[in-house]
This record gives sequence, structure tokens and C-alpha cells, in this order.
Amino acid sequence: MKNSKLFIFSVIAVIYIYSCGKKLDKRPLGALDETALANKRGVEGLLIGAYSLLDGIGGNKSSWYSAASNWVYGSISGSEAYTGSDDGDDPRKAVLPTEKFITLIPTNEALASKWGTVYDGVQRANDVLRIMKKAKDILPDDQKRIAAEARFLRAHYHFEAKKIWNKVPFIDESITYENENYHVSNEKDIWPDIENDLKYAVANLATLPYGNAVGRATTYTASALLAKAYMFQKKFTEAKPLLVTIINSGAFDLVDYHKNFNPGTKNSRESVFSVQMSVNDQSIGINGNYGDMLNFPNGFLFGAQPGGCCGYFMPSQYLVNHFKTNAVTGLPDLNNFNSTNVTNDEGFESSDPFTPYAGMLDPRLDWTIGRRGIPYLDWGIHPGKIWIRSQEHNGPYTPKKNSYYKSQEYQLTDYSFWTNGTTANNVNLIRYAEVLLWAAEVEVEIGSPTKAEEYVNLIRTRAADPTGWVHTYVDANDPSLGFTNIPAANYFIKTYPAGYFTTIGKDESRKVVRYERMLELGMEGHRFFDLVRWGIADTEINSYFLKEKNLRVYLNDARFTKNKNEYFPIPQLQIDLSAGADGIAKMIQNPGY
Amino acid sequence: MAAINSIVRLLIYCLFFLSTSAFAQQRISGIVTGENNLPLAGATIMIKGANIAATSLYDGSFSINAKSGDLLEISFVGYKTQQIKIGNEISLKIILQTEVVSLNDVVVTGYTSQKVKEITGSVAIIKPKDLTAIPAGQVEQMLQGRVAGLNVITSGQPGAPSNVRLHGIGNFGDVTPLYIIDGVQGNINNLNPNDVESVQVLKDAGAYSIYGVRGANGVIVITTRNGKTGKTKISYDFYMGTTRPLKNGPGILNPQEQADLTWIAYKNSNQVGSNGNPNHPLYGNGVKPVLPDYFIAGQNIGLFANDPAVNPALYNIDFTTAPIYQIVKANKEGTDWFHELFKPAFSQNHSLSVSGANEKNRYMFSFGYLDQKGTALHTYLKRYTTRINTAFAVNNNILIGENLQLTYRDNPRIASQLNTGGLFNEIHQTSQTNPIIPVYDIKGGWAHLFPDYFDENPVALRTIGKDDKSHSWDIAGNAFAEIDFLKFFTARSSFGGSLTNYYSTYYNFINYESLGGFPNNSFSESSGYRRSWTWTNTLKYSRMFDDDHLLTVLTGFEAIDNYNREVGGKRSGFFTNDINYRFLSNGIPSTQENHSFAGASTLNSFINRIDYGFKEKLFLTATFRNDGSSVFGPRNRYGWFPSVSAAWRITEEKFLQKWDWLTDLKLRASWGKTGYYGNTDPFNQYNLYGGSIGDAYYDINGTSSTPVQGFRHVRIGDPNTGWQEDVVTNIGFESVFFNGKLSVTTDWYKKKAKGLLFLISLPDVLGGAARPNGNVGIVQNTGVDVLIGSKGKWSKDWQWDATITLTKYKNKILKLNDLPFFIPPREVALDYVRNETGHPASSFFGYKIIGIFQSNEEVANAPVQNSAAPGRFRYLDANKDNTINANDRVFLGDANPNFTTGINIGFTYKNFDFTAFFYGSFGNEVINYSKTRTDFFAVGIYDAKSKALLYNSWTPQNPNANIPVIENSFNFSNADAINSYAVENGSYFRNKSIILGYSLSKKLLQKMKLERMRIYVQALNLFTFTKYTGFDPELSGQSAAFGIDYANYPNNQKQYLFGVSIGF
Repeated sequence: MKNSKLFIFSVIAVIYIYSCGKKLDKRPLGALDETALANKRGVEGLLIGAYSLLDGIGGNKSSWYSAASNWVYGSISGSEAYTGSDDGDDPRKAVLPTEKFITLIPTNEALASKWGTVYDGVQRANDVLRIMKKAKDILPDDQKRIAAEARFLRAHYHFEAKKIWNKVPFIDESITYENENYHVSNEKDIWPDIENDLKYAVANLATLPYGNAVGRATTYTASALLAKAYMFQKKFTEAKPLLVTIINSGAFDLVDYHKNFNPGTKNSRESVFSVQMSVNDQSIGINGNYGDMLNFPNGFLFGAQPGGCCGYFMPSQYLVNHFKTNAVTGLPDLNNFNSTNVTNDEGFESSDPFTPYAGMLDPRLDWTIGRRGIPYLDWGIHPGKIWIRSQEHNGPYTPKKNSYYKSQEYQLTDYSFWTNGTTANNVNLIRYAEVLLWAAEVEVEIGSPTKAEEYVNLIRTRAADPTGWVHTYVDANDPSLGFTNIPAANYFIKTYPAGYFTTIGKDESRKVVRYERMLELGMEGHRFFDLVRWGIADTEINSYFLKEKNLRVYLNDARFTKNKNEYFPIPQLQIDLSAGADGIAKMIQNPGY
Repeated sequence: MAAINSIVRLLIYCLFFLSTSAFAQQRISGIVTGENNLPLAGATIMIKGANIAATSLYDGSFSINAKSGDLLEISFVGYKTQQIKIGNEISLKIILQTEVVSLNDVVVTGYTSQKVKEITGSVAIIKPKDLTAIPAGQVEQMLQGRVAGLNVITSGQPGAPSNVRLHGIGNFGDVTPLYIIDGVQGNINNLNPNDVESVQVLKDAGAYSIYGVRGANGVIVITTRNGKTGKTKISYDFYMGTTRPLKNGPGILNPQEQADLTWIAYKNSNQVGSNGNPNHPLYGNGVKPVLPDYFIAGQNIGLFANDPAVNPALYNIDFTTAPIYQIVKANKEGTDWFHELFKPAFSQNHSLSVSGANEKNRYMFSFGYLDQKGTALHTYLKRYTTRINTAFAVNNNILIGENLQLTYRDNPRIASQLNTGGLFNEIHQTSQTNPIIPVYDIKGGWAHLFPDYFDENPVALRTIGKDDKSHSWDIAGNAFAEIDFLKFFTARSSFGGSLTNYYSTYYNFINYESLGGFPNNSFSESSGYRRSWTWTNTLKYSRMFDDDHLLTVLTGFEAIDNYNREVGGKRSGFFTNDINYRFLSNGIPSTQENHSFAGASTLNSFINRIDYGFKEKLFLTATFRNDGSSVFGPRNRYGWFPSVSAAWRITEEKFLQKWDWLTDLKLRASWGKTGYYGNTDPFNQYNLYGGSIGDAYYDINGTSSTPVQGFRHVRIGDPNTGWQEDVVTNIGFESVFFNGKLSVTTDWYKKKAKGLLFLISLPDVLGGAARPNGNVGIVQNTGVDVLIGSKGKWSKDWQWDATITLTKYKNKILKLNDLPFFIPPREVALDYVRNETGHPASSFFGYKIIGIFQSNEEVANAPVQNSAAPGRFRYLDANKDNTINANDRVFLGDANPNFTTGINIGFTYKNFDFTAFFYGSFGNEVINYSKTRTDFFAVGIYDAKSKALLYNSWTPQNPNANIPVIENSFNFSNADAINSYAVENGSYFRNKSIILGYSLSKKLLQKMKLERMRIYVQALNLFTFTKYTGFDPELSGQSAAFGIDYANYPNNQKQYLFGVSIGF
């Protein structure tokens, strides 16, 4: 009896000791902690992670509205394109206010997505800097290069915020959850911070990308972005030497215009800063320019047209009218281009006969937009209405620069998605052509009109090369047989005659350069920001509405309010969350919202 | 029926101590009967002050060793306990009086069991008869209205978990109480209600503090049945019946009305073509809209019979042969989508059990089959459960046993509107899908909705997904051993837990009926398991001193360990849709995706409990628990959870004994601390990095196909987060009057939750990593629970039994650390909810509509408001700065009811029984989300619209309308702002159930060789009184955001049942 009791006691004691001493440490499963990454491989991986948000997709708030191309804020707000789709479609509700301005409010869903994504990018760049400080195996040269790339990216993401909202906070690597310093104000101008980061990048990056990785920033990439920052501040004197260095470096050149918009010929000599896209990489299309996924001709006929969805981002008549050229001079008519329309097939069924516009056109038009009667890459002749979701809302045109060739389908588009609209087509953030146009702007403002003219003519000379135009099909019924040498429309474009800029004077030259930007960079997400930095957004956009509302009835109450709509409303939730324990928001709203 | 526990306990005592104490005593035998002289089997005969007991056998006989002068106590559930002083008799005849008040029932509470009268905490005991009164299939749903202080909100969807909340919203995560099934944390969803012996709801800190960090939501202790001494019992319960869909759908316009509405909207917005008429793909361009004959043919929409495009020869819905060309007629009468989705549904339930016991062994075996079909197509719960409970006495002082449940569950459900990424579920779609669209196309294929939309024909969606699987197998239970030694000690060890394996498949068709599956089919399959074990070791010392002082001390350790893991994959490009071909290896290899993930957590605890009783009138309990959890960082890992409680049965005092009408009165008071650690990610304390191909890899080399691996910050860690600590004070009394004819139990409580755990709302400037849970503030609930019961006899044939529960609580956020407020994620709250200091949890927040602008003058004189115009909402200028902006948002109500009540009324007349059960919730607001779409033309202009919009919206002639003018503009002054439009009064009062039963008479039973047989008919949800305009105001939802009607599966559908209950 005694023994059995002793035995029972010992069993109980053992049980108690065991259950008491059990460890309470459960290491995280399936994720890494800081220590695992505090070394060269880890930090390089974090840097890749910081690059990976350049496409605007993959952060917790990312969506079509945070696309790298800024189609919502740069192009649609800038009169280049209509929202598209139709009123019955929910995503349209987020985009339409950026087209009409009048209904733009601080709770707009699109803006919340963009804000979240750019600051996600900022903090990914900061993570690189923070964790690099803890790494012991990174050589000083590598440290500089990694810091330079990270700060370049941090500047880029802040730049995105700056041009959209103006009043934005600069978030450096000291701002963390642990430091409890994240209730930040947005009242200080962040241009100096952006410049600092970019200056560091210019000074510490090489002329060739590290490891020959085309996606990495070089000193030229950083210089171009710094020059852009100066352009936005009208600091032409500071911008000029940077632009000259890039132009004189010989590292860049103009290529056939359309090669910039073809996933098969991306990363050419014209690419200064591009977002790299990849497909069929098991990301379910997320890495394949997901942000422009909606921006294709519309229709649900299986495999019959590029993308397959959803008829967003439809080029405006106003944009198209820019491309008319004078039959004699080959130059655009800066003052009256919009008084008559390039004729189109609106109101026609695809089965109705239609003759495309017969007047003279800048050949870049048909690489910028798709229109009835003109070959759409190798997809066949654009059939008009059946590719359009709703002519009433979308007009007769379709986007083209973000598209791909039928022969590339499934090779350069993603195979595992609900549309074929996720592609390997890069988004060009800075093309060499834009560097030349900035240089032209600088020369107009503070330099020589002759030099400005020279830059503009470089652009126009490239455009005038017939080998780079849209040509007719060998056999319209079988586009796969290729193209003839016959231009698909009446393309006619000339350079500005020597001395033209001097003759017309500074104000008119300025107009010419600005107009050329529309022709060269149309649908690439720059227009609205250009109008704002030039200080002409209200007049340009309101005159656009005045005419365009006759074509698109939904625009009848659209209106741009001066000194308000130059910048977008800061997401309300972010203002609300900038309040600390005192309940007072540290961030303030932009004027007028 | 808590009887089993008393029997278990006393049986054990009996077995263990008979022999060890069997000397110097005489053997006394006897017989126990009821008032009717029939023998009572299973009564406990115990010698007071000693652990000696016996149980009466099937013929009522017993024998026990006792000595002269011992006090013999004879107790049996449902009968008054009798005490007899032993003189010289060796044979006793004991007649037990039936007892109305069951104060001697023994119930399981925290790690121990007690007599009802000894309990010092607030504990609600639910009778199994009440539990099975609602044929819900799930135990938690049956608790609705039965327990004062407990709110149970249920969806009508078979198998969907309910929201169970004790004493209001105590935190912003999961407020589900802790379910302890046979001593082990368990899953109540799989429990067969017929297997349940008793349910106790522990309602105050005195009762549940001993569960420490898991206790804050209250604890529901469930004991499953086991065999009872006597002959083998076989019982079979069965019911079957039908559930009827709601009679009225969402009240939408017919196609012609919809067309007329469209014309009004376009004209009011001046969106007309050159001929002055609107231009519409369906209705043309005329002065009046014209309904087309065909909805879709190929890419065209809105066609007439003579159109060559509607030639049936062009029709093709097989993508493998040619491009899709679908032809769909227009349904000019209108499709009733609601009743296309919801159809009458059949349910049946079978439960068979066998149980028995002798002095050494007990067993219970049961098998249950539930087939509960939902009214929405292809929703059902099929559940097979098997339970095996056994216990064996080894030697004389060791008891070994096990409780085991095996469950197989097949439960396809409609996705909740939560977390569906903005796409609407099928129920919402019934109020959204345009009625001009038929269910089928001209050749019986699924009709496509508008060509360019993802929204899918809801009937198609339900039907094509019916082969997708969602199965789980669950093993739950425990094994235990109890050893009595050294006279006063009992050691118990229990090892238990659950293992759940689940498996699901999803096939995505290349469908022609929506854009959703375009352009590739795909198949995904995933499977995983969750396991949790709990090892509890306790040592108990129990001793009676001087006949008056009963002291019980319990100490123990408990370890809990959880782990889960899942693996899954996906491929696309299947050659055929054949269901037998759906294997991952048959998809195209280059399209494959795969994943696996896991989680783990552990909890170690030290448990202490002291119970002291004095003369059956004064009781004191102190509990004390220490928990250590892996979920929190080392600094905040351990927590102490003490409680004290006391009860005083005043009726035992002499000065009250002259009041005959007062049968029993007990005063109770308790104070204690408890905790909550749920809804915290197991790795909350760590800063984590990771990243997938889509969110962190980048094609830095420009390959177009091979991105380089990258990392991103995936989780912000907070090592300082600790658990939420609840301090609970409770004062209550339990009273019984007129020998049980009336009883009243009332509790007042204050529950203050400090360090509320919730996802911290952080600004986006901190990047995209997941936010940690933090201790965000203090929330307080104060409330009163009242339970009133009455039962008795009018005559020999007529009896009544009624109970009313009243639950009232007031919830208030007292403090939020460092935060002005926090908001639940958009997917669950649709931006309506803000949790802010000074307001109840889950309050609705937005612009308050104070009317509709009547004229341009009014607009001009009103505060500046974006998009203000006649016929649009006018908002309250809350801060009176003459501008309507974000600072003018105000609180618009909340979903916490002022009070809820459950009323149960029962009568028996001879062999007939009748029960009616009512449930009501008053003073709660609801967001009727569907309205924000159907009452505004510009929100989904091709979607169905409400009759109210066409007939009751604002026009200059109808200035008092609530709905703004019909127009095609989506703006701040109509639907593009979170405003009070969708806020409705969600009060309701409902007849949940009416049952009429008949028990066969003894004579008939004897003829049929049956022990008992009852047949009954039942009707559920016969009527509801409510002003709510949606389907059903009873809305489930997360605790940080509830009361939002995202098209919930209605729980107010009428149901008619027939049932039989037989005992052999």
C-alpha cells in the first residue's frame, strides 16, 4: 500500500514537472526574421522587394488604381482618355471622379490604393537601409551602391506621392512602428528630401547597372529622375547639366517608336527607367503589368482580341485630334487642332461600311491608339464597335501602347488569369525621348531656341522614319503573314524648319515643345502632371470639357476647379490616422476638399 | 440533467471507498422508492462526512456499510434529499419526495463539480429538453434566448457558426465563449445535440476566472451523456420536415418599370443623345424605352426577333469548337431571382443511442445522422457523428475512461459577403440581378448577365459549384484516469483534444456565362489538419470538518498545444471538365501553383481552487490561475488571474424560515480577473519578412519570365503586446418562491476589459506589412440579466412551465491608447463602422441625412456641400462651420440591442405537451446594405432597382420622400458617401418555435414493448414583428463590426417538422 502511494506521488510529480517546464517559445513558421536577412544576400533580396513595387502591384493596398502607368491620374485626369467601361461597372466609380473632378472626394477608393502603394514602396526602400546597418558582410562599395539604389527608389515613390497630392510627408528609415514616430505631418515641402536622395544616388551609382541587370537604376537613371524633380520645380538651371550629361553619355538613343511599347523589344537603348514585367512566373499575372489589365479592347469573345477586358482608359477625341498634320508643312496646327475632329466610326456597327479618316496624320497616332480600319498590331484590322464596351461612354478608340501581339499571347501574356491582359510589356517611366523633350523645355526657358528646336526635331525625325510606321497587312484576313511597306493611313510629318523656334519666339516655342510632349508621350501617364507644373491645368482641362461633353454626355457636369483640383484629395482615412493620442490629425487636407 | 455527474462522482466514491473503509461497521440495506412506490434506480446513498456511498440498483435496493449514529443522506436528481440517522435498523425503506427546485443537482463547473446550491458564481444551467426544442443541428443555436446574458445570433445557413456573445462585446476579435466539452476545449459545431447531458454557462469571474486567459468571453461547459445504472437503454430520435423560403423577395421592379426608371434617370441627368432621348443598349433611343425580344445574341445586346443575329444556328456555348455565341431571350415578365435561388428544402435527423452501466462499467454509444438542407440551392449540412463514452473502475480506487467523438462533415455553404473581394454573393445577387435576364438561354444553357460583367447568374453559380468539395473529419475527446488515495485525495489526469482533417477542391470552369472563368479552366485542391491537445493534471483534497465545514482544495497544471498545417495546389488548362478528370496532375505543368503554411501556439497553466462551505448556507470560493502563452513576447507572457466569490443562502437562516412562501434565497457576489488572448496571430511578437512571387519578386534582369527572389516586410511585430485583462464584478441573487411555482434569478455585472486586443490601425506611411495586435484600450460592459421561471400544476392533468430571460447590457469604449479610434477592415465593415472612445463598440459613423434639398434656393442658403442639388441628400453640418466635410461625420447608431428577451411557455395536458418559444431583440440598428444599391440608379445602372426608387423617390411633386431624385449621377450627395441612408431600426420579436407533442400512454407502450414514445409536430418562425425592410434583422458579423446586412442567409424562414422519440 505504501509503495503504491509513493509510486502515485512520483508519477504525479513527474507529470507536474513536465507540464510546468514546457517551453513557451514558438518560433515563427514560414517567415524570416531580421537576423536571417541581415547579410548581403538578405539585403539584396530586400532591395529586389523594393524594386518589385515599381509596378504598383503587390502591396496590401495595390490595385488597378495604383498602376505604375498612372493611367488614372496622369492620363485620364489629363484629358488624354476617358475612363471607359460603362456606368454599370463598379470599378468605374473610383476612376470617374478623377476624370470629372467635380465628384472627387477624400474617400475616393482609387486614391487610397495609390497612397498605400507608394508608401509601401517607401518603407520597402527603408527596410533595405535599416537592415543593411545590421549586416556585417557587406563591403563598403556594395553598401554605397545598395543605399544609392534604395534611396533612388525611395525618391521615386515619394515623387509619385508629391506630384499627385503635393502635401505629403517624407518618410525616412527612422520612421517605424517601434520608434512610435509615425504620426507625421505633411506640411513641410518634401522636394529637398527627394533631391537629397537622388543626389546621393547620382553620386554613388555606376554608369552601368549592377550585374548588368537592366532593371536596376544607374547614375543616369537617377540623374534623369533628379532632372525631372527639377523640372517640376521649374529649376531649369539645375536640370540642364544633368540632362546634358545623359544626352552626351552616348548610353541612350532613340529606337523605332513602337519598339518602346512591345514586350518583345523592351529594354532598348531608349529605356532610361522602366518597370520590368514578367509573366507565367507563377505570380498569377500579378507581375505582368496587372495595373493596366483593364485597359484593353473589350468583349468576351474568347481569344478574338487582345486582352479581352475591360474597355477602360479609352483615348479621347481631343488626344486624337492632336495628331492631325498640315498637308503642306507636316506640322501640327497648335491653335486649331481641336476645331475639327478626326472622323471616326462612332455610331457605326462593325458590320457597317466605314472609311477611315483620309487627312494627314502624325504616324505616332496609330501606335498610341487603336481605331477602326487600321491594323491593330497583328490582331487584324480594328473592327470598331465590337471591340468597344459602350461607344456612348468610351468613344470609338482603344488604348494600344500597353498591348501585345497576338503572336506573343501566352508567351508574353500570363496563362493563368481570367483575361490575357496581364503582359510582359514594361511600363516606361522615363524614355530617352522624354529626356530630350525636357532638354528642349529647358532650352526654351533658359537657353537657346536653336538647341530646343534641335531636340524637338530629333524626336520628329525619328517619328518621320517610314520604317517605324504602322503598315497594312499582306493579307488582312491573315495578319500572321505580316505587313507590307504601305503606310496604313496618310502619315505625313516633318521636322520644324531651321530657325523656326527663333522666329516664333519664346512663348510659341514653349507651346510647340509642350504640344510635342502630347504627341510623343500620349497615354503614358504624364499629361495631367505636366499641365499642373506648367500652371495651365484649369484652362486646358476646362476647355477640353467644354468641347468633349458634346461627345460624351456623362461629362456634362465635369469641371476643374482652379487652386483645388491641381492636387488630389489626401485619403481621409490617412488624415484620420495621423492623429496621435491627442486626437488631433497631424496631416492636413489639400485646399478645397 | 446534471444527474450523470452526481452519479459519476458518487459511483466513484462508492467503488473506491467501500472496501478501504470496510471494517468495524455493519451492513445496512434498504430500498429507495418514489412517492408512487415505484423503485428508484440510481439514487445515491451516502454517509455524511465520510467518502462512503452507494447507488440504488434497478429495483431500488442498496446496501451500505455504516455504523450506528451515522447520518445517511439519500439523494436523487429531481427529488428532495433526505437525511436519516442510523439507529439499530438494518433494513430501511426510503420514500423520496419529488423536488421542484433542483438545488442538489450536481453540475460541472471549472475543473470540478458542485451542487447547485453550493455554487458561488453566476452559472446558468440549461435543461437538455430546452436544448433539443429547436431542431437546429448545432448546440449553440439552441442556446438562443435560454440564458439571460447570452446573445446568440444565427444565420439561416445550415452549418454556419453563430455569433455567441456573453454580456455584450468584450473585445473586438472573436467573442465566442470557450467551450469545454468533457473537460477539454472543443468545437461545439460538431456536437450532436442528442449526446448532450448538460450545459452550464459560466457567467461571472467567480465561475470562469479559473479558465484564465481563455475565459474572458465566458465559458460554456458541456458534458456528454454516459450510461446510467439500470438496464440497457436504447433510444431513437428522429425528425423530418421542410423549410420554406421567404415569401417576399427583395421588392424589385419588373423589366418595363426598370426601363421607365432608366429613362427618367437619363433625362433627369440630361444625359440624352442628339434626338433628346436617352440612348440605351437594351431599350433603344426612342421617346419611350422599348423592351427588346432578346437580351443577348453574341456580342450584341438588346435585339428583336427579326434580327439575323438571333438565328439559333449561330448559337454555341462550347469554347472548344468555336467562339462562344450565346443567345438569351429577354424575360419581359421578369425573373424572380430570389425564388429561383431559394427553394423549399427538406431536413431530417436521426439519432440512435445505446447506454448502460453497472457498478464497474459505464458505456454510451450513439450514432447521429443530420441532413439539413438549406433553402438556397446546394447548401446543406450533412453530418455523421459517432460517440463512444466509457468508464471502467479498476481496483477500487481507480477510474479510467474516455469520451470520443468521430465526425464527418460535408457542408457546402454560400460564401459570406465578408472577404469576397467586393464580388457579391449569390444572395445579394438576387436583389441585384436584372429581372429581364432569364435563368437559361434559348437552349438551356446558363444565361449570361451583361456581357462585360463578372457577376454571375446566381443560380448558375450555385449549380456549377456543386461538385466542389468541402469535407472535414474530426476526432475529439479525451481519456482520463482518476485515482483516490489517502482518504481525502483525488488525482486526476486527462489527456484530450481534437484532430481535424479537412479537404476541399475547387474547379473553375471555362464558363460562357460570365467573365469569371475566362479563359482557362483550373482546378485547385487543398488539405490540412489542425490538432490541439490539452493535458490536465489535478490533485484534489476534500474534507468535512466538524460536520459543518466542507473544504475542498484543488491544484493542478494544464498544458495546451496547438498546431495546424495546410498544403494545396492548383493547375490550369484541363482537357475536359469531366469531374473524374479533376486531378492536379492532369493540368498543364507550367501553370502550377502550390502553397503550404502552418501555425503553432502553446499555453501552460497553473490552476488553484479553494471551496469552503459552512452548514450549507455560506459558501466561499477562491480561484487562482497562472497562464503562460507563446503568443506573446517574453515580457508579457505570464498572467495571474485571481477571483473570489461568495454565496449566502439566507433561507437557511432561522430568521427567514418562518416565511413559507420563500422557498430559497441565495445572495451571490464575485470579483475576479480573467483574460483573453484570442484573435492574436501566434507570431504577433515578431517582425517578419517574406514575400511571394507576386508581391516581392522582381524581373530585374528583364527576362519577362524569371523574376529574381525578393523579400518584403510581411508583419510588423509588437513584443509588448500582452493579453487583454478583464476585471469582472457580479452581484446577484437566486430566489425560489411558493415551493417552486416562481423563481427569479438576477445578476448585475460590470465587466471592464483592459488592454483590449485588436489589430492596430496604423497609417499607410508605415508600409504594407500586416499590423500587429496591440492592447488598444478599455471597453466596459455593464448589464443586468434576469431569469424568471414559473411552473406548477393547475390540476392533475394541467401543468405549466414558463421561463423568461431578459438580457440588457451597455457597452462603452472607455479608452483607446494612442488612437483616436480604430476601424475594422473594409471587407467586414464597408466603411460604416468606427470604434471610438465614449461610444459603443461597432458604432456606425458617417454623414447624417437631415433631409432632401428642395430647391436651388435651399442649396444656396445651406452650408457648402459637394454635389449639392435639389433632390439630393442634405447632410447635418455637425460642427456648424457652414461647410460639409469629413469633420461633419457623426455617430449614426449601433448594433448593440437595448435588451433581448427569450420567452418560453410550456403546457402539458394529460399526455399532450405544448411549447412556444419567442425571442426578441430591441433597440439595435442595422445597416441595410442592399438598399444602397437598389435605391440609387447610378450604383449599378444595369442592376435591379427597387420599387421604392421608382415610386417613392424625390420629385418636386413628392417633396417628403426619403429617397433622392432618380438620376444617373454617383456623387457625395447621394450614394458616394457613407451616410445614414442605410441605417435602419433592427428591432424584432419573433416566434421561434411552437411544438405540440403527444406521449403514448403506459398501456399502449406496454403493448408495443416500448419504454416511452413521443410524437410531435413543430413549426418554426411562424411570425416576426419588425420594421426592418431587409430580409432578416437577425444579423451575424464580426464583433468589431456587426449588424451589417451583406445579404445574410435569412434565419426567419418558416420550417415545419414532424418528429418521433422512442425509448426501448
